[in-house]
Amino acid sequence: MFAIVEGPIDVGALISAAQRPDCGAISTFVGNTRVDESEGASVEYLEYEAYRPMANRKLEEIGAEMEERWDVREVCIVHRIGRVDPGEASVAIVVAAPRRGPAFEASRYAIERIKEVVPIWKREVWSDGYVWVGSQVGTRERAGLP
Amino acid sequence: MNAGSVKVLLFGAAADWAGTRETRIPSGEITLDELWPLLAERHPELSPMRDTLAFAVNGEYARGDARVSPGDEVAVLPPVSGG
Repeated sequence: MFAIVEGPIDVGALISAAQRPDCGAISTFVGNTRVDESEGASVEYLEYEAYRPMANRKLEEIGAEMEERWDVREVCIVHRIGRVDPGEASVAIVVAAPRRGPAFEASRYAIERIKEVVPIWKREVWSDGYVWVGSQVGTRERAGLP
Repeated sequence: MNAGSVKVLLFGAAADWAGTRETRIPSGEITLDELWPLLAERHPELSPMRDTLAFAVNGEYARGDARVSPGDEVAVLPPVSGG
């Protein structure tokens, strides 16, 4: 299952859905929003946006790449967009495999590929402005704007 | 229908700087490299970002020599930052 969603991710439900009698391992990676602080300011929340049809297709392609490289039997990647408050899940990757090695490795591969190729962007909204992560542009004075 | 134009979608910092998420550029059959100056003329704020941007044509990453036809959808993609 590959999805871009606008509400909270139910990680437990994803794990339950990945359980299969031929798989002895389920690896779960959850990316959570983290609060950074600098010079008296802090991140209040993150806001994600996606180029949706392409992002969905890229998630499916990553799943296909994982199945080509490892013996994994179930792959689920869900990425949340919109406002995500600190400590909430922005992405969840659940991989079921007969053995733990491929489950761990494929899961790591998925998050790295997501960060490389899936057209999703996040903006950190700070108490004193915002910054587009990756582009390093925004309204914060200390963000090193061009 | 907008015959004779390319739909351009902007995302992330590019949408922010251009002040819009979607625009239409009148054009015939051209390449992505030829489309860029037309877009930059309309949204000069994008010019400083040029080297950081990737592009997609009809939902797939495309290089500068990719053909763009009227009716196609071009996406302007700043460095992705999902996860």
